[in-house]
Amino acid sequence: MANEDVKVGRQAEEDKGALGDSRPGTIKFLTGLGAAAHALRMADIDVASSYPIRPYTGVMMMLSMMAARGELDLEFVHGEGEHGQLGIAHGASSAGARAMTGSSGVGVVYAMEVYSPISGGRCPVQMVIADRTLDPPGDFGSEHTDALSTRDQGWMLGWAHTPQEVFDNTLMYYRIGEDPRVYLPQMNCQDGYFISHIPQRVVVPTQEEVNSFLPPLEFPDALDPLNPLGHGPQIFPGQGHVLEATRVNAMMGTFPVIDEVVNDFNKRFGTSYDPFVEQYKCSDAEYVIFISGGHAFTGKFAVDHMREKGMKIGLVRTRWVRPWPTDYLADILSKFKAIGVVETNNSFGAARQCGILTLEVATTLYQCDNKPVLTAFMAGLGGEVIRLDEFYYMGDVLKDAAAKGSTERTAYWIGFHNV
Amino acid sequence: MIEITVWCTGVIQDKEGRDVCLVLTEAAFNEGKFTQAFDNYVDLPDRINVQVRKYARISDTVIENVFEYENHKPNIIGVTEATIMKGINVCYGIQPGSVLVINTTKDPEELLKYVPAKQKKNLKAVATIDALGIAPEQLIDYSGSEGAEDASAIGGGLGAAMAGAIAAVSGLVKKESVLAAAANRTAAKRGYDEVKIKQL
Amino acid sequence: MKTRFKKYTVEIPEEMAIPFAGIVESPKPNGEQPMMLTGGWRIYRPVIDSEKCVMCKSCVLACPDATVLLVDGGNKIGFNLDYCKGCGLCTWVCPVNAIDRVPELDFEDGVPFQDALFLLPHVEALYAD
Repeated sequence: MANEDVKVGRQAEEDKGALGDSRPGTIKFLTGLGAAAHALRMADIDVASSYPIRPYTGVMMMLSMMAARGELDLEFVHGEGEHGQLGIAHGASSAGARAMTGSSGVGVVYAMEVYSPISGGRCPVQMVIADRTLDPPGDFGSEHTDALSTRDQGWMLGWAHTPQEVFDNTLMYYRIGEDPRVYLPQMNCQDGYFISHIPQRVVVPTQEEVNSFLPPLEFPDALDPLNPLGHGPQIFPGQGHVLEATRVNAMMGTFPVIDEVVNDFNKRFGTSYDPFVEQYKCSDAEYVIFISGGHAFTGKFAVDHMREKGMKIGLVRTRWVRPWPTDYLADILSKFKAIGVVETNNSFGAARQCGILTLEVATTLYQCDNKPVLTAFMAGLGGEVIRLDEFYYMGDVLKDAAAKGSTERTAYWIGFHNV
Repeated sequence: MIEITVWCTGVIQDKEGRDVCLVLTEAAFNEGKFTQAFDNYVDLPDRINVQVRKYARISDTVIENVFEYENHKPNIIGVTEATIMKGINVCYGIQPGSVLVINTTKDPEELLKYVPAKQKKNLKAVATIDALGIAPEQLIDYSGSEGAEDASAIGGGLGAAMAGAIAAVSGLVKKESVLAAAANRTAAKRGYDEVKIKQL
Repeated sequence: MKTRFKKYTVEIPEEMAIPFAGIVESPKPNGEQPMMLTGGWRIYRPVIDSEKCVMCKSCVLACPDATVLLVDGGNKIGFNLDYCKGCGLCTWVCPVNAIDRVPELDFEDGVPFQDALFLLPHVEALYAD
């Protein structure tokens, strides 16, 4: 919003509760895209490959401006499409560069072929995704189906719910993905428009602090003309399942690394991120809203207001979709009486006509002795906002479900069933 | 909470319309308010001269409906190109005691005919300001609309004069605050001083 | 079994219905698209001086929105002001400078007046008092 920085002061002091902690640093008014661009600048990325599509375009505009002004030593390569864009990032990362790319909506799925080669090649590329609804009808609005469609491609995948978290995730994701125990690409997702375009306060740490948190990338077997290597060769069927097993191990092996990195981040920057799952007012909650992504911001205010009315409601926000924090979530979710999963995605014809997250949550709970009532709230589809009163409706449904032990529907469509 | 909606023309005044909101929220933020300035979500902003809305919210308490992408009950309406009023009811949804500020060389009375009676009864004041005369340069900078930081200074032209005029008519922020928030201090000052107000 | 299936469908209220597959009607023969009135974009209105006009029809071909019309049995040039965006191309291509650009606010009529842009029923409800 403002180009001039405002030093920490009154506003940061007041900033408690649903808005998160106060922390030292310089305050800027940034959109999610602006936050990502500043974090990428401070992460000293080497290569960015771009192709324009709304709403993510702004991050590339800012990076190219930063490169032009000499604030960042960056190889800025423009792809001929998203497929080529991901190919450029793949090549750059193979050569040992800290590479980033990004896209939105149909752009994300146009690049579908290249995701598995990048993750299989263990290239720690970071992709900034600002979600956009898939066509039809060329809707600019946010919906998570684009990035969630790639969830089986071996990339780490998680959502931020404020521009501040976008900034912090950008740094944390690189450190996790570039850890020698991991080496995996990461999708750093944010809701299009709601996070990507609405400026909010972001605390920006100093370059020295970032440098000490995020060391330069050490990529083994980087492409080097003096030491020729073959990346991505043909292998035999008898090796295929072994390679897949190493990829699974890499992904499932991220849990201790995530835990370590997020805790280190909290220590250095004065934040209080939970490594995997944020629990908002859950300690005595009987029923919770389960959510991923930006609408948790509104959801927290809604939970505050519902609690003022005496409802025992909480909000659980997963910070990761891949890897899915199964055991953490099983521990957390199995103690509630009812869970409503807010789906900002759609999986047409899925079990119980719910979205993608409910499928994961149901699988998570299947191992538990106590199985809460589970229902889906199809909300924010096509990029529609989820208003406070719509969260209140969800709260009423959940309260009822907790009392009765069942729900009328397997999926409630917000905007239809609440009117 | 005070809601501000600024109507501007696509592409040509995209930056200026946004600057009105940015200057006012910056000024209010420095006065200790909670603020939000945000771009349109449903208009078709990259068509030249299409009607585009830019929004701001200024509040004494935390703004909770940050993601609601339209101001449904605005209190202040800015119009950076008077002709827009001929085709659109810019005051749709305004609350009692609202103000309307228009960039034009005409007198306020002349443009009241484009406000339907239902909205007119909610207007406290209508004002005009020759913002284009004060700051004739209209910079085309699209970066802010794409979610990036603005590549050029905030409040460098027409937008500063409009913001000054809105501050004068509404009393929303102090004169010093709005002057300090605009890159073009002179334009903001002239906007504040030269606005023609008709109380209703 | 029928009731069992019904649980999984979403009942769409009639006022919220949209066309099959979101398909929009093709523009009417005269080029009009009532969902997308563009006359409100116009700041300068094209005004033709029929005395000067030589009926070369360059403006008819140049108009990107097919809003320059042949009227009066094809003997005169007219404009569809509901859709003319005021881009000024007709003025630009006219070989005899017969088309003037006059500020729209100098005229009383000529622009369709809308309450708001793209007002869907459930959005309209949010604006209600």
